[in-house]
Amino acid sequence: MMANDQSQPLASGNLRFRQGTAALSWIGRNLALVCFAVFALFPILWMVTCTLKSDAEMYTTVFNFTPTLSNYRAVLIGTDYFKAFLQNIVVAGGAVLLTIAVGVPAAYGLARYNFKKKEDIAFTILSFKFAPEILVILPVFLIFQKIGLYDTYFGLIWVYQLITMPLLIWVLRGYFEDISVEIEQAAQLDGYRWYEVFWKILLPLIKPGLVASGLLAFIFAWNSFTFPLILSGFKIQTITITSLRYIASDSVHYGHVAVAATVAITPEIIAALFIQKHLVRGLSFGAVKG
Amino acid sequence: MASIEMIGVTKRYESTVAIDDLSLRVEDNEFFVLFGPAGAGKSTTLKCIAGVEFPQKGLVKIGGTIVNLIEPSNRNVSMVFENYALYPHMSVYDNIASPLRSRLHRKSEPDIKKAIDKIATLMHIESLYDRKPNQLSNGQRQRVAIGRCLVREPNVFLMDEPLAHLDAKLKHTMRAELKEMQDAFNTTTIYVTHDYLEAMSLADRIAVLDHGRVVQLGTALQMYYTPGNEFVAKLFGEPEINLIDAQFYVEGGKTLISTGIGLTYEAEPDVAAALQTQEHNRLHLGIRGNNVAFSFQGGGEGWLRGTVFANEPIGNSVIMTVQLGPEQIRVVAPNDTNAALDQTVYVRLATANVLYFGADTRRYIVRHNQEQVSSVAHLRRAGREGGEA
Amino acid sequence: MAQLVLKNVFKSYDNNGKHKQNTPYAVNDLSFRCEDGEFVGILGPSGCGKSTTLRMIAGLEKITAGDILIGDVRINDLLPKDRNIGLAFEDYALYPPLTVFDNLAFNLRARKVPEAAIKEAIQRIAPLLKVDDLLHMKPQALSGGQKQRVNIARAIVRKPGLLLLDEPLSHLDGKMRQQLRFEIKRMHHEIKCTTIIVTHDQLEAMSLADRIAIMDMGVLQQIGTPLSVYDDPANVFVAGFIGEPPMNLLPAIIQKTAGGYCFTFQNSTLRIPVPTRYDEVLHNDMRVTLGVRPVDVVIDPDSELSTAIPVAVFENLGDERRVGVRVGENLLSLTTTDAIYYERGDIVKLRFQSEKTHLFDATTGVRIRSRHITVPRF
Repeated sequence: MMANDQSQPLASGNLRFRQGTAALSWIGRNLALVCFAVFALFPILWMVTCTLKSDAEMYTTVFNFTPTLSNYRAVLIGTDYFKAFLQNIVVAGGAVLLTIAVGVPAAYGLARYNFKKKEDIAFTILSFKFAPEILVILPVFLIFQKIGLYDTYFGLIWVYQLITMPLLIWVLRGYFEDISVEIEQAAQLDGYRWYEVFWKILLPLIKPGLVASGLLAFIFAWNSFTFPLILSGFKIQTITITSLRYIASDSVHYGHVAVAATVAITPEIIAALFIQKHLVRGLSFGAVKG
Repeated sequence: MASIEMIGVTKRYESTVAIDDLSLRVEDNEFFVLFGPAGAGKSTTLKCIAGVEFPQKGLVKIGGTIVNLIEPSNRNVSMVFENYALYPHMSVYDNIASPLRSRLHRKSEPDIKKAIDKIATLMHIESLYDRKPNQLSNGQRQRVAIGRCLVREPNVFLMDEPLAHLDAKLKHTMRAELKEMQDAFNTTTIYVTHDYLEAMSLADRIAVLDHGRVVQLGTALQMYYTPGNEFVAKLFGEPEINLIDAQFYVEGGKTLISTGIGLTYEAEPDVAAALQTQEHNRLHLGIRGNNVAFSFQGGGEGWLRGTVFANEPIGNSVIMTVQLGPEQIRVVAPNDTNAALDQTVYVRLATANVLYFGADTRRYIVRHNQEQVSSVAHLRRAGREGGEA
Repeated sequence: MAQLVLKNVFKSYDNNGKHKQNTPYAVNDLSFRCEDGEFVGILGPSGCGKSTTLRMIAGLEKITAGDILIGDVRINDLLPKDRNIGLAFEDYALYPPLTVFDNLAFNLRARKVPEAAIKEAIQRIAPLLKVDDLLHMKPQALSGGQKQRVNIARAIVRKPGLLLLDEPLSHLDGKMRQQLRFEIKRMHHEIKCTTIIVTHDQLEAMSLADRIAIMDMGVLQQIGTPLSVYDDPANVFVAGFIGEPPMNLLPAIIQKTAGGYCFTFQNSTLRIPVPTRYDEVLHNDMRVTLGVRPVDVVIDPDSELSTAIPVAVFENLGDERRVGVRVGENLLSLTTTDAIYYERGDIVKLRFQSEKTHLFDATTGVRIRSRHITVPRF
């Protein structure tokens, strides 16, 4: 009891001191976060302001200019930018759908079954992501020309699998490994068929990982530059390629480039904002986090 | 409700043999326990019956029908998994409802509600309906898993170590509750455990497994009083049964048993008769700790002098380990026994309760009054049938 | 070799959401004394503050308030290495590239002890823990039990004043655990080093320690010999924590009847007489928690004040038999070594062994004692 009384003032003194430091560290932390946010978002801000400037004002570094929508008019109405935008959606969306259709079963197989060279195969798939695209582009170009895939939707979707599939397989493999096989067995014994087990039990459990890695796959495909540059011609134009068009050899319309880029990143930003919760959780947590 | 039969079933995982030419028959409505140490093949046996593992050889029959080629969902078995295998994304209610919502066992939602309410009352989980599995304690998860198993009326309940992950205290109460509920099961049950208390408490019959083979098959009390070999004898009983090196010889018409710990005594006539049929005269005497008396004062006829090697209070008793020559004998002593290490102690074995094993075969040979003891072993079963009549 | 004294020791953590705590203190006003050569067990559920206590004694955690003394020296501010303490953790933490001998010698060499003396010390300790045959081996070649032995040997080879063992057996399987329990106990018997073991396993604490300190929520609940904490628990927590199978703890209402006080229970017709020694501390309608161990419940057909009750569970476990009856929501169980056999539904009458029936305050959980007796200070 005595000791209790003695320790009380000591403890409360400690407490006041601790509250002080806590407030300080809160301010410090938030200041740092604000700095980082400015640092991270500034390029986007800069780009958006560029879209509103006329060519003459393009090189001023002050935020003092006469806003104009002429760049937007020129790009969105004057050129076939929208066609490229739609084509990009088809190509990137198709790539993601194919990745999911093939990658989910592949991830399941790599997680559940034991077969020879399993780890080698898994690593090979991942290694597609390591190699620079430029490394394989020439042989692929030649092959595509030979077999008639050059400048087709399917050709691009197919080759995009190199950049969209590995991550999805690796993320989902981890998810499947976290789901104990007994959960599937329990569902089978409950009277469900294998496809019902997949829809009712497995799919909800891998959803965070599927959403996150699917979104990343979409972004990878959307941003891809090297592949469409070489493997598509006039029929199919993705926006990354289209944006380049405003840089001609004699004149550079930075305003037009900025508009093209701004429109191009809009779907990505919207998607990322929507799913950012899933994105963080999906890539960091396992499926059955107890 | 159905009988279960396994005929010559072998299951290998790559190079390891999990079950090896296993045959057994579980009667309709029986509570059958598969008991053995880790890696004995108990869970694999269950999974072969459930159909989620496929044996390389042998037949599995449920209710007389060969089910080897029948999908698990169509076998109408219900299982509790060792890790509970609750669906993490579903509430407790939906977990238990899951079997009743599948195409095969579909019922209307009001009927499901009725069935779940009934089972939840039995398992004391009515208040948990809306929780997710990760908001439950281990004991609650286990109840939900058992609830999901019991909510159906399958051919057979399969339970894989349902109590293994509970702490000692919860295990004690849950075992008693399971036992109390047993009448409500009302169908064939196969229960896997490595805890001999669970096995003895719950089983109508026990199969002791080791390395994928059945070592002994019988009632709990047969396992305890007339174990088939030393392996089984060691598994049943706490502390572990003492095994003492000994040999027998015949002298002047008497069969004498002599041990390495300075004890020689005459075998009872029934024991002597059984021993004389043996090829070898080297024995192991099995005697349980509660059949050894001890005293700190003076010896006398039949008392052996030893020293205290260890003295471990465990609450309601003290397990004293006595060094007797080359052997260490575990003795169950009252809980207020206080002994210093290396203190002199005298012990006396109740030789009438010794189990005799062959030293090289490690198989059970005989015990005194075997007939009488075995009839005690059947007492509970007999009483049960009498009670039902 | 020295005695250890803890005086009003407090420990609180900076609680910025990382530690989820129910109490402001991880350890709250902890005082006890461990005599020279004594073996004390600190026992409690996870999060009760037992490991924190050990780490404070070892100097791995700072003390918020209070004093720790080894011998007569206040060691609050001494560095861990200056406290002359041997510490063996749950994880073996042996140095993998060194042989067992070099592992054992490591500390002594660091303190510049002459090689000859090191050799002598190791040869003295190694047989005690049966590591003398392992001295030339590397840790990776050892089994779990052997590693833990080397680990403990390393802690005692430097002749510490105090040996601290933190859950040394929890990674081992049943058989190995029992073996090592024997060896730790015998090692202590040989070298008589003041030893503290921290464990959550009551069996381990009871079988090893001379005295057990039971902690919960950072507070010392009771300290005493294994027998005294088993037979004379200070409160409901200790009563429920010690003993296997666990003590029956049932909420009961005291009713006065013509024959004397009886226990009655909510939603149950069961009535069992209260031992008469409690008469002076009871009154009618008093609410208590009844605590009685399964071995101290007896089936007694002649118990006049008891009402009959059906058997809910009967288990024949070979060594003993257990009978359970339903008392409202709860199960009251008894164990016996007598050769009695029951069926579910058989009717029995129960009685409690007078000296072994404990009453606890229904709200505070503190023991209600029958007479004013002084608790022996262990």
